[in-house]
Amino acid sequence: MPTDTKRVRGPEVSQSPTLFLCKHAAVLPSHGPRADGRQRDQVDVRPVFVRCGLVSQAKGSAYIEAGNTKLMCCVYGPREMERKDETDMKCGKLTTDMRFAPFSCLERGSWIQGSQDKDLSLMLHESLQPAVCLHKYPRSQIEVNVMVLENSGSVLAHAVTCASLALADAGIEMYDLVLGCSIRQNGASYVVDPSYMEENSCSSVSSENQGGLTVAFLPSLNQISGLQSDGEMTEETLTAGVRTCIEGCYKLYPVIQQALTKAVRRAAPPAIRELKDSITNSIALQCAVLTLTTQPLFLFDIMFLKKD
Amino acid sequence: MATVQVSEAEKVYILHGIRDDLRVDGRGCEDYRHMEIETDVVSNTDGSAKVTLGDTAVLVGVKADIGKPRPMVPNEGYVEFFVDCSANATPEFEGRGGEELGTELSNTLYKVFNNKHSVDLKSLCISAGEHCWVLYVDVLLLQCDGNLYDAISVAIKAALFNTKIPRVHISADEEGGKEIELSDDPYDCVRLNVKNVPCIVTLCKVGHRHVVDATLQEKACSVASLIISVTRKGTITCTRKVGGGSLDPESIFEMTEAGKRVGKALHAPLMKLLQQEESLGKARQKVGFLG
Repeated sequence: MPTDTKRVRGPEVSQSPTLFLCKHAAVLPSHGPRADGRQRDQVDVRPVFVRCGLVSQAKGSAYIEAGNTKLMCCVYGPREMERKDETDMKCGKLTTDMRFAPFSCLERGSWIQGSQDKDLSLMLHESLQPAVCLHKYPRSQIEVNVMVLENSGSVLAHAVTCASLALADAGIEMYDLVLGCSIRQNGASYVVDPSYMEENSCSSVSSENQGGLTVAFLPSLNQISGLQSDGEMTEETLTAGVRTCIEGCYKLYPVIQQALTKAVRRAAPPAIRELKDSITNSIALQCAVLTLTTQPLFLFDIMFLKKD
Repeated sequence: MATVQVSEAEKVYILHGIRDDLRVDGRGCEDYRHMEIETDVVSNTDGSAKVTLGDTAVLVGVKADIGKPRPMVPNEGYVEFFVDCSANATPEFEGRGGEELGTELSNTLYKVFNNKHSVDLKSLCISAGEHCWVLYVDVLLLQCDGNLYDAISVAIKAALFNTKIPRVHISADEEGGKEIELSDDPYDCVRLNVKNVPCIVTLCKVGHRHVVDATLQEKACSVASLIISVTRKGTITCTRKVGGGSLDPESIFEMTEAGKRVGKALHAPLMKLLQQEESLGKARQKVGFLG
């Protein structure tokens, strides 16, 4: 694990009290209903609460809550790039940063970015990059910062969804929204959108298929922009898992679209709100979001074109 | 990763060739370049291996230290990975330039080995809760010509095969504490079972087809790649999509199937080669770094 080179710290003497439990945490059963009442082996994602435009200082922001997992994302940009010696000046640069609050997980984490944070930031970057039209922002930098307030499972998947919502809220041009979904495979059964306990419980029976899979998906274009799996799975299980995650993303899509529509409506001047019924597909929505920030009059032409 | 500038005409040439299953150096889409493996190259380590895949050269050293087991799993040892992109490979890696790539590679290696069967961690335990073996696997990139993941995973498998952990026994000393004694005979050691160590296969999507073991030029023509780590039995321990492009779900399924096929076929010849090298014993001619 990389260490902080700027500070000299004493030895870490504190330990989490969970280590001293007399009775170890019970291993979660691999059949029967899940702890929070959802079904296993079905695409049963947690209901999400999303809201855009929470942080007034940021260009765009979003907050997502799924079960107990809470995260927020802020987008700053497009800003002028600091270093002018970049070889590729034709398109913009997307930087992502994902951090966990120290109190977010069961065991206290540290403020210094560990290797897990860096890894998740990289995954987030790879999932968002195909969707953002970076060629429209030459010599600019778009910063996406995700902060995990409470980690209750499938953090990366929800971070991807939150980040793409924040990008749309900021008016950054994108090809499509990116949605994330994850599953946890436990023997022959799987659970979609696992909670923290389901993610980290090791089954006592060491069976063939054990692992987790996270997929970032662009629903309108039917493209996978991010894929990550670990554990041990057969190829068939992996393929079936990817299909399940895609289904989970499709289930989430209408909710996210609705949240974005609400945010656009709230930000729009009253005259445009009358045209809200003609906003049906997400492509018109993206046009609405980005033209809102530039020329409101132009918006009318776009809306009428789409209606025809 | 070290990058090369490729002109549009070259990109079209490479694309059309791959479409017809013919790459620039004459290989098929699923063929590897010439691979050379040598173990036991560094005498100060407990196990080491050097792998040259085309122009990519990777050196892995394994050192076994005695440490305290992790609090949540007191009866297991653990493995730590570190990848160093040395400035020898390309001037881009000078100073902290290679740190990002090194962290990405180490994190992927942690994911690849994050399962119960790859390395038998219980065999690394000396006394539960107090002492265990910690294997520090350090990877050094000497030359970079594409396909780092594959070369690194083969080198790690060879180095772990070559690792000789000294035998220890615990005895009780006067105050009732435990004392560890290393056996006097330097050849008295424990070997690791590397049958289930996975190998990583990188598949690059170029045009409508995928290629295995892409060179830097081919990488410059592809938008996205899929990394799959496959064990001898065909189980997949880690997959990851890298690159700034997106992939169709059907391509991913195709690439997973091809990766599994290629990866599974890699293990048997590799183990045979390692055992052959081992059986040569003292009569083996050391090639080292100048060959």
